[in-house]
This record gives sequence, C-alpha cells and structure tokens, in this order.
Amino acid sequence: MARSSSKDAQDLFRALWSAYAATPTNLKIIDLYVMFAVFTALIQVVYIALVGSFPFNSFLSGVLSCVGTAVLAVCLRIQVNKENKEFKDLAPERAFADFVLCNLVLHLVIMNFLG
Amino acid sequence: MARYLGGLLALLFSASICGAVTIPGPISDAHRSVASELFGGSFSSLEEAYEAIRVFEILGIGNKPDVSATTCKQVVENLGSSSPVKDLFYALKVNGILKCKVNADVFKDIAVRVKATVNDASTLVDMYHSIASLVLIKDQASDVDVLLADADGIFHSIKALSQSDGRWRYSSDNPESSTFAAGLALEALAGVISLASSEIDQSRVNTVKNDILKLFDSIEKYDDGTFYFDEKFVGGREHQASLSTTSSVVRGVTTFASVISGKVNLPGNKVLGLAKFFLGIGIPGDAKDFFNQVESLALLENNRVSIPLVLSLPETVYSLSKKDQLKVRVNTVLGSAAPPLTVKIVRAFRSDAKDSAIFESKELQYDESNGIHVLEVFPDNVDVGTYVFVFEIVLHDSAGENVFATGGQIHVPIYVTGIIKVSNAEIVVLDSDLGSVETQKKLDLAGNVVVELSANHLQKLRFSFQLTTPHGHPFKPHQAFLNLKHETNHEHVFVVGNTGKKFEIILDFLGLVEKFYYLSGRYDIELTVGDAVMENSFLRPLGHVDLELPETPEKAVRLPPLPLDPYSRYGPKAEIAHIFRAPEKRPPQNLSLTFLSLTLLPFIGFLVGLLRLGVNFKNFPSSAAPATYAILFHLGIAAVLLLYVLFWLKLDLFTTLKTVGLLGVFLMFVGHRILSHLASTSSKLKSA
Amino acid sequence: MAQDLKPSISSFSLPKTLKLKTKQQELLIRVATLALIYVLAFITRLFSVLRYESMIHEFDPYFNYRTTLFLTRNGFAEFWNWFDSESWYPLGRIIGGTLYPGLMLTAAAIHSLLRFLRLFVHIREVCVLTAPFFASNTTLVAYFFAKEVWDSGAGIVAAALIAICPGYISRSVAGSYDNEGVAIFALLLTFYLFVKAVNTGSLAWALGSAFGYFYMVSAWGGYVFIINLVPLYVLVLLVTGRYSLRLYVAYNCMYVLGMLLAMQIRFVGFQHVQSGEHMASMGVFFLLQVFFFLDWVRHLLSDTKLFQSFLKITVTSAVAVGAVALGVGMASGYISPWTGRFYSLLDPTYAKDHIPIIASVSEHQPTAWSSFMFDFHILLFLFPSGLYFCFKRLSDATIFLVMYGLTSMYFAGVMVRLILVATPAVCLISAIAVSATIKNLTRVVRAKSPAVQSGSTKGTSTAKSSSKGVVDNSQPFQRNGAIVLLLGAFYLLSRYAIHCTWVTSEAYSSPSIVLAARGAHGQRVIFDDYREAYFWLRQNTPPDAKVMSWWDYGYQITAMGNRTVIVDNNTWNNTHIATVGRAMSSYEDEAYEIMRSLDVDYVLVVFGGVTGYSSDDINKFLWMVRIGGGVFPVIKEPDYLVNGEYRVDKGAAPKMLNCLMYKLSYYRFGELTTEYGKPPGYDRARGVEIGNKDIKLEYLEEAFTTQNWIVRIYKVKPPKNRW
Repeated sequence: MARSSSKDAQDLFRALWSAYAATPTNLKIIDLYVMFAVFTALIQVVYIALVGSFPFNSFLSGVLSCVGTAVLAVCLRIQVNKENKEFKDLAPERAFADFVLCNLVLHLVIMNFLG
Repeated sequence: MARYLGGLLALLFSASICGAVTIPGPISDAHRSVASELFGGSFSSLEEAYEAIRVFEILGIGNKPDVSATTCKQVVENLGSSSPVKDLFYALKVNGILKCKVNADVFKDIAVRVKATVNDASTLVDMYHSIASLVLIKDQASDVDVLLADADGIFHSIKALSQSDGRWRYSSDNPESSTFAAGLALEALAGVISLASSEIDQSRVNTVKNDILKLFDSIEKYDDGTFYFDEKFVGGREHQASLSTTSSVVRGVTTFASVISGKVNLPGNKVLGLAKFFLGIGIPGDAKDFFNQVESLALLENNRVSIPLVLSLPETVYSLSKKDQLKVRVNTVLGSAAPPLTVKIVRAFRSDAKDSAIFESKELQYDESNGIHVLEVFPDNVDVGTYVFVFEIVLHDSAGENVFATGGQIHVPIYVTGIIKVSNAEIVVLDSDLGSVETQKKLDLAGNVVVELSANHLQKLRFSFQLTTPHGHPFKPHQAFLNLKHETNHEHVFVVGNTGKKFEIILDFLGLVEKFYYLSGRYDIELTVGDAVMENSFLRPLGHVDLELPETPEKAVRLPPLPLDPYSRYGPKAEIAHIFRAPEKRPPQNLSLTFLSLTLLPFIGFLVGLLRLGVNFKNFPSSAAPATYAILFHLGIAAVLLLYVLFWLKLDLFTTLKTVGLLGVFLMFVGHRILSHLASTSSKLKSA
Repeated sequence: MAQDLKPSISSFSLPKTLKLKTKQQELLIRVATLALIYVLAFITRLFSVLRYESMIHEFDPYFNYRTTLFLTRNGFAEFWNWFDSESWYPLGRIIGGTLYPGLMLTAAAIHSLLRFLRLFVHIREVCVLTAPFFASNTTLVAYFFAKEVWDSGAGIVAAALIAICPGYISRSVAGSYDNEGVAIFALLLTFYLFVKAVNTGSLAWALGSAFGYFYMVSAWGGYVFIINLVPLYVLVLLVTGRYSLRLYVAYNCMYVLGMLLAMQIRFVGFQHVQSGEHMASMGVFFLLQVFFFLDWVRHLLSDTKLFQSFLKITVTSAVAVGAVALGVGMASGYISPWTGRFYSLLDPTYAKDHIPIIASVSEHQPTAWSSFMFDFHILLFLFPSGLYFCFKRLSDATIFLVMYGLTSMYFAGVMVRLILVATPAVCLISAIAVSATIKNLTRVVRAKSPAVQSGSTKGTSTAKSSSKGVVDNSQPFQRNGAIVLLLGAFYLLSRYAIHCTWVTSEAYSSPSIVLAARGAHGQRVIFDDYREAYFWLRQNTPPDAKVMSWWDYGYQITAMGNRTVIVDNNTWNNTHIATVGRAMSSYEDEAYEIMRSLDVDYVLVVFGGVTGYSSDDINKFLWMVRIGGGVFPVIKEPDYLVNGEYRVDKGAAPKMLNCLMYKLSYYRFGELTTEYGKPPGYDRARGVEIGNKDIKLEYLEEAFTTQNWIVRIYKVKPPKNRW
C-alpha cells in the first residue's frame, strides 16, 4: 500500500511538473514570487514557534505582509492568465495597476503596524 | 468599650479633682522654667527685651551676660539717635533695669526733646510715652532737669480725655472710650504728679480717685470671686485682650496710688479678685501674656492700695484610709510669706446639704517650720463624700486689715475619699414564670472569681450587691453598670439601680431578645462600679453566661454594624505595594539574527529562480517618451517604498499620508501613461 | 414616497427635456429623483430640531459628543492617548483604546472641512446633523447597490424606501449622534463594494471594500456581522458550486487588507486573529486557498484518477492541519472563546440567564411583532416577494442580498436594536419586489396603448422595457387588472410614506433628555428636568465631586454636568456596576460604607412618581438588584419581591421599603399630593400609594430636586466627628 501510494505520488508529481512546464514565463515569475513570499512567511512562523510571539503586532505585520503579498500576486496571476475566460475583459495592464495600488496600501498599513 | 468606660472613669475622676482646686496657688518654680524658655531667644525689639528682662527681674532669674551686653548696645544706640518716643521709652525702661553706661549728656538731650513732645502731644499714647520717659530719666539721672513747668495744664489735658464711667479716650477726636486707655492715663497722671514742679491741686487728684472708683464699678466678675477688666469696644485700632487690659489698669492704679499722698480706697475683695484672675490664668504660652501676668502680680505684691493674700491647699482630697492632715498655705501672690495670721475653718458642710454644718469654728495650728497651717484632728463624723470647707484668715495685727486683702470667707470644696465595702454579691438565674431559682452563685467581688452560667430566653438573670461606706452608711456611686458582651463584640450596657441599701438588676431575657438581636451564644459579663470618692473603684469581669435565644424572625431588626475601631478607620493605611508589569521575555540576539539571515534565503532563491527562468528587459519600451515614463513610474514606486521606510523609522502617520497622497497623484499619472502605452502596443500586437 | 414624487417631477421637467433623447431624459430624471431623495432623507430627520432644539439625544451620544469635543479641542494625538479620569472613578478609562473612533473622527473631519471653507459652525451642530447627512449618503449607496444587484429602477426605489424607512430613521434622526448613524452607511458601502468586486473580479473594488470595512470597524462593533456574513456567503457559493476566480480575488484581497486595516483600530486590535468570532473568516480564507490550489491542480492534470488520489491526500492533510491548529489555539487560550454578547445573538435566552447587564437594556430584548410592523410597515410584506424575485433571477449578487436579508432578519428578531441592520436589506429586497412588479404591470398596460400612461409611468421602467421581451397574452381584462393593481401599489406606497412620516414625527424624534407630555388641556408640556439637574451639578458642586448614579446617566453627567462618575454607559466593568447596584439596594448604613469607599460625594436618582415618567430608577431597580446580586450574593432578588411580585406600596417587602434607592426616590414624597383625589404620596408612574411615607435619611441629605422631581440629587454627608 505504502509503496503503491508513494509510486502514485511520484507519478503525480511527474505529471504535475510536466503540465506546469507549459506555463508562460511571466506566470512562472509570479509563481516564483509567490513561493518566495510563502517561504518567508513560513520562516517567520517557525521563528515565532521557537521564541514566542511577544511583539505580536510585529509578528503579525511580518507574516501578513508575506501572506498579503502572496495572495495579491496570486490574484494578479489569475487576472493576467489568458486561460481564465472570466477575465477576458480585464486588460493585464489594468490588473497590474490594481496590483501595485493594493501593494502600496498593504505596505503602508504594514509599516504603521510594525511598531 | 470596657476600655473606654475605664478611661472615662479615670477622666471623670481626674476632672473632678482638678475642678476642686478653685484657689490657684501663687507663682511657683514652674513659672520660672517656662519664663527662661519663653524669653530665651533673641529679641526683635526693645519692647520685647524689656519684657524679658523685667520678667527675669521679678522672678529673680539672673540675666545672661551676653543678653545684657547686646541689649545695652541697642539701648545706647537708641538713646543716641533721634528715635521715636516709644522706642526711647522702652530703651529707658531697659536701662532702668540693666543700668547701662549712658552719658549724662545724652539724658539731657533726650529730656529736652521729650519735654517738647509732651507739650504738643495730641494722643494719650504719645503723652504716656513721653511722660513715662521723663519719669524714667528722673530716676536714672538725678542731675537732669525733668520737672514739668506746666504740670497742671498737662494734667488737665489728660484728664480731659476721661469719661463719666471712669474710662479714657485715646485722643480728643476719637469718641471711643477704652479701659486699656484708662490704665495708660492713670500711669501718665501719676508721672505728671511726680514730675510736677509745684504741688498739683488736691481736688484734681480726688476727681481722679473718683474716676478710679467708677472704673472699678465696671469691673467684670466670675462666679468664684475672680475680677477682671475687659475691653468693651471692638471697633478700635488695636483690640486688647482682657489680660492686657486688666494689667494696664493694675499698672495705672498702683502707680497712681504710689505717688499721691492719700490712699485709694478700693474694696479688698476686688483686689484679691484681680490677683485671682492673674493667678488663674496659669502659665501663659505667649511672651506678652506672660509679661503682663507677672508684672501685674509684682505690682500687686507690693502696692499702696491693698496687698492680696492667697490661701491655697496643696491637696483638696482627704483620704479616710490614709488619715492625712489637712494643710493650708497662705502667701502673697508671688509666693512670699504672709504676715502673722491665723486660719480658721468657719464651718464645713456636705456639698449637697448646705444648711446642715458638720462642724463649726475650728482653728488651724501654724507649723512654723513649713510655713503651713494644719488641721491636726480631722473630725470623726465626716464620712466619704464631697464637702465645702469655709476658711477665714485672721490677721494678728489688726492694722494690717488696711494693708492686706484677705477676702473674708473662702469656700473650698474638699473631697473625702475612702474604701467602700462591697458585700452580698449574688448572681441568680430564675425561671420567668415560676420564679424558681435555677442557679445561684455567691460572688466575692473583691477577688477574681468568675462564674459560668447558662440561661434561655424564658429565664431571668438577677444580680445584686451592697455598698457601704467606712462609717457603715449605704453608698451610691456615680457609676454602676453591668455590661454584656457577645462573642461578635456586640455590647449591651445596663445601669444597675439601687433599692434602699441594695443594688439589684434583673435581666428578663424574654423582653431583651429584640435588644440582643436574637444573638445566641456566650456573653461576657462585666461590672463597673466607680465614684470620685471611692478609692477602690473597679471594673471587673464577672464571668459569662451562655444564652439561648429564639431564632431570628423575618421582620426582626437587623444587626447593626459593629463600631469600627477608629484607629483602623482613620489611622494610616497599609502601604500600597505596586505591581509592575514584568518585561516580556526576549529571545537571545543570535537566534534572531540567524532567522533574519534565514529570511534572506527565499529572496536569494527568488533571484536565482529569476535567473534560471531567464528574465530580461526585452519588454522595456524602447522609444524615448514611454521609456521616461516607465523609469519615472519605477522611481515613483521606489520613492513610495522609501517613504514607508522613513515612516517606520521616524515620520508620523499624517505627514506620511500627505506625502503619499502627493506621490500617488504623480504615480497615477505616469503609471497611466506607461500602462496605456503598453496596452495599446499589446492590442496592436494582438490585432496584427 | 419616491413614486409619489415622480409623476410631478417628470411632468414638471417635461417641457425642457423634450428635445433630449430618451436616454438623456431618463438620466436627467434619475439624477433629479436621486437628488430629491437625498434631500428628503435629510429633512425628514429634522423633526426633533424643529420641535425642540438642536441638541444631542439619549445617553451614548453624549459620550460621543464629549469625545468629539475633546478631539476638536486637543487634536488627534491627545485624543488617541486620552485617559479619562472623570468616569469609572476610581479606575478611570482609557478612552482612546476602548472606543470606536470612526464617528468622532468623521464629525471632526466635517467640522474642520467646514472651517476650512470658512463656515464657522459649532461642533455641536455638526454632531447633531452627522446622522442625517450619512443617512442621505446611505440612500446613494442603496441606489448603487440595488443597481448592481438588479437594475437602476430598483435602485431608485431602494433609495426612496431607505430614505424614509422608520427602522433606519430611529437611529439617525438629527441629534442621535451615535455610532449606528455612520455605521449603516459603512455597512452598506462595504457590501456594495464587495458585491461589485465579486461581479468584476477587480482588485481595486476589493480594495475599496476593504476600506469600507475599515471604516465600519472604526465606527461600530457591528462589523462582526460583516466579517461573518461575507465568509458565510463565500462558503455558500462554494457549496452551491458557484465558485469563481472573481470570488477568490475579491474575498482574499478584501480579507487580508480589511483585516490588517481593522487591526489599526486599537479597540479591535488582535481580535481578528484571536477571538472566536473572527475565526470563521480566517477558516474560509484558508479553505479558499486549498480550494483554489486543488482547482488549479485539476486544471493542470488531465488524468482524473491521479487527481482523485491527490485530492484525497491534500484534503486529509488540510483538514488535519486545520483541526490541529484550531485545537491547539483553543486549548492554549490563544483563540478566545465567543463572548457573551455573541452568544446572546445566537441564543436569545442566553443573556437573560447569564449576563443581566445585557438583558437589562431594553433595546437588547427580543423584538415584538408590533415593532417589526412599526419599523417596516409594508416592507414586511414586500420582503418575501422580493426574495421570490431574487430567487427567480439568481446571481452572485442576488444570493448575497438574500443571505444578507435572511441573516439580518434573524438577528433583528433576536434583538430590537438589530432591526437597524436588517433595514437596508429589507429595503433593497422590497425595492426589487416593487420595481419588478411595477415594471411587469406597466409593461402589460403599455403593451396595448403606451400613450395612456406615458405621463405617469416611471422613467425607470421605460429605460429597461426595451431590453425584455413582451410576454403577456393580452387578454381583455388583463390591462384593467394591471391598472387596478398599479393603483393598489401606489396606494400602498403612499400609505407607507404617510406611515413613515407619522412614525418619525411621533415616535423617533424625541430627544429623551427633554420629555414632552400632553397636559390636561391637550397642550404640550415640556419637562426639562435632566438638563436642569446636570447644570445644577455643574454650577453648584466642587469640580472634583464624584457622582454616583445608575450607569444609564453616566455619560450625560460627565458630558453635561462635567463631574466624575462612578459608572457609565460603557459597561466594561461589571463588578463596578454591581457595586453601585449593591449600594443602591442596600440599607442606608451599608450603602454609606460602600459610598465612602468609592469616595462618592453626590448620589443622583431619577424618579418619575410625580410626573408619571415610567423609565425611572424604581422601575429599573430590579436590574440593579440582579446585577448587584450577580457579583455579591448578599443581595438576593427575592428579598425585594413579595410572592414574586414587585411592589412599592404598603405590601412591599421590608427590605424594599428601606433600601437606599427607595429612600432616595421617595424621600419627602409622602408629603406631596400628586394627583387630585388621591392620597398624598401617590406614585403616578406606578399608580399606587407608596408604602413608606416617613423616610428619614441619616447619612445623606437632599441637595437638589428638579422642578418636576424627575432628578433628585443627594449629598453624602461627611463621616461623623465622633464614634
């Protein structure tokens, strides 16, 4: 069972990887950016788990900054992805402008919250 | 509560004893020690210095040499310069006592100057100061001519200020009359008489004598024969207290009496009353009052009107158990010995039965060695109680009647104390209905035996005892209380009434349940018996009773809160210990730095990933205008991010928001340009 | 109302617009109507200003007014760090950290804007008119919301309905300077922007929605409704298979930014990540990530079997991680459990059993049917039909509206004051019903002879009629029936307008600080006792005097009397309030000890026995006993009741007759004849003769009693000199 499931998993990842390779480069950049944000958030969470969450606002703003960045990037990715028919009307430039605006607001708040 | 009762008892006792001393003793050593304290410091003016030196002189306390030296220096300075008359007056007074070295010429100058002021002085105070100064100069420097040429005129101008009731006005334009001023005027008049170059008309002197008598008609009096003068008008410039007023009058009258040829006929009891007034003040705490008291007494001690003799008792309590002697002392006001005399007890009576004298007419023996008069044998028929003894002083030399004021019959309350016998004490618990005795205990109240009782609300408690005096009479004390105290400190006090010889109280618990707030349990019993003349007053526990009372009904009166201990309520509170927030635990710095570097890893990964993907700037606009816009756009974003960093480091929210607003407008503009350019190119691409 | 206005408007503006095209005509009429509605919403709320004067109403608004005053005088930084020592003596209160500052900041901003425009008005006028101003703005938002959900015709109707709906007016008349005044605007704005974001999938709209949410959080505690309704909506869409990427974008952006912004409000602080009430939104956020990820992977993988196994792995791990996180959070106390107020919303009986302080407020009681009718009138019947239309044309937006309507109606049934939250939803849904019905009817009418109705038909329907096909089978009586129905609809709507005006004028425009009554000859009698008493306090007591009263009057005493109070309407410390309740329900000597320990100088009671004013302290007294008894078991409610009955006459409980509140209320009352033909000491508020006419006060003395005895102030005597 275990072997079969691990084999399944290998199959799965291989299939996933091959499918992903077809993604356009600009989407890959965004994916990379998302991964970067998520990992930064994870490192912070590990740090908090180790030493405790005393300046809680700093912790929150650190993690939420990463999470927010990631989420916004994912939104951007969805909007500029040509495969998504829902966003046909939305120009990628408009999406990018929204993304920049949201990021600026996000980080203004983060800075205020950082303490 | 018991403690308070005991305290109250002691207070009452001591108060009653203090109250007994109605005749104050003469000036004593206590005065001397207080005087050196009061006048010990330095003096801000010559007036104060004079008062101190004068008090020391009267009380026979030696001056400190440095005090005399510094004061003399001041005196000389004052006399040399052209200081006001008042200062001259005090300087001369001080000099009169200290005998400083002053040039005779100085006195001459002063005399001339002062004489000039006498003639054009308008107010009484000025006249007084200048005349008195002249008198002082006359005493201190015999060769200076101080005699007044127009003595009659001056006498008349002072006399013109007198009022019909014997008081004086301060000046002719001031309608208010004053007793204090009367004293000043009399002293001034005395000065005029002594300074007069020719004899003053005797009729004028007699009118002044009349004034004095009139003045003494307005004298105030207390019930115990104390006389004093009081200032009537209040609106004046300087209101004088009764002490200084009286003192001023005494000074004036005695001085005046000493310079005239005849005698001022004042009633002896009033002079004695004045002496009593000064002595009754005790020891004043104020230097001025002290001076006034001591100087007036000194003037009374030796005057030509009449010299008061003070009868005093060292003790007004006579104990039957100790069999002391009753002692009486007769002195002058300053405590010096009186002329030969005999003290008689005219009669003695119980203070509550004035008409029936216990004994009459007993003569006291004079004890030469101690200077006191002693009642050798105390009459046997005197039982415990408060009495009034009436003394009389009989001078051996009958001519002395005119010189001395003895005050006639003197009433002195005497406390005769003794040991009261307590007997037949008994405590009984009875059944209410039947009256049958449940438990009965005899008590020896002199001992320490306590009883233990128990009762319920259907029973009664009876407590009785007898009190007898040493002579076997029944005794009724001021206080006879029975005190029941519950475990919860609720306390009930009952007065033990007496029926004939016996003291008895019956506590019917059925009637008392309301009062006891239905509190069952153990009650401590305490008995208080006390009186001022009872030498063995006591407050002792009798034991306790276990009461069983019925259950508290619905509508019963609630238990009142216990009276708080006043010390816990108004006393200092316990100190507040502040609790501070403990600082949060911080991780070691190394760990934090490690994680800081760890967070860089994803970023490096991101960059590496970008390189792997082969990112390039191919899409960057090549033509000039869009390129500038693109650069400006990125610069704008960078500027905003930089601003955020600044915000984090130092700026506040409002400045940041304003700047962000400005940058935002700029960004909007360039962003719109570059993005619309990109959009148009991409749509062109698409269409192509 | 709007319907009534419309014919006249269109006929009025007809000559000028003749030359315009139909579309332009329609736009002009629409804008004009909206402008009129905007003005109407404002002026219908001015009854109280006309009838009394420009003043702040009720209790809480006085606190808001006081803080606004402080804000305008001392600036934002001082305000944010304000420690108020005048309330909750001796504890004090950190104002900046314990209030929703939105309202005050709004009023202060308006004030400074007016000053910038060189209009020098007093801050009080700004405060009085803030609520009507925001009500006007709400009508605009309602218009856009309904337009987004349905069409612009429904938008106009919604704006008109909400402009005069009594349920909303009750909290937004001039002078009612309370959080709700701006909060409803913020609530509706947030919802509108969110729906817009969901419809367009645009980050910008979601950002707007997050800002709307931020404003809502800063203004009112009711933001919890948003943070729970939105995730619920997302969840429903997920379950019903209506998940879309637009939803993902809208929710994620709104949630992350909204949460971060909300954390900037100190009073809310970390609650978004710590309290149980906010956990639903976080759970949905993570759920949405997982869902998106799965969707993406499914999109990548063509092989369904592989995807199935992948699904199994991810779902189990996600559920496990979620459960572990939640369990750890709950067990370690990191996530606080739901608060009592939240419970009481879900379970109407909870407060009555557990939190007397919540239950004691009349507006926290469950709603009676009559008040639904009173506040909604015909909307109550239009609401279900509106739901029907929504279900008929199901879209993401209508689903949202339906959910908003249903949940808020439930909460409105739980608590009277939450009718306010339901009002916009009811108005919007009803507007859809009205608009759709009338449009259908007019279509029937116009199908035969369009000329007949052209003058009075609604411009809105003409705009849209072309877009839909004509459906009727044109039977002869159908047209007449349609006309009759139309007339009926107009009649109902005009009844609604009349009802709203009547309710506003009669019920919702009294300031409650100045009381009005009808005299024996029908004339209006004004009782201005409250202000009389507060100004007495301000002018006759030392500035540092401490006043004890029941918490209802705390805000007013600090704001108008300018004196320190022991407790006030910000009921944050139950024990402190219970102490006051205990003092009021104890005997005088015990109460004296309590008052000494609290340093009380004056005691203020409200008494309606002379005037027949029923919401006085004696009627509130049982709550004092309950709240006091909740903390101090020495106070027992049965002691004050006789056979479970609350009485103040001769048959009253002995403890009742001797407690402090009774003594203070009825002191010297036994000498007074209040009504002709009744014995002295006849209490008009309760209609009985009082039981204890001979009241002696030992530790207090009467300091002041107002003209109509409504407010009585007593001075606490200093302790006796001897013991």
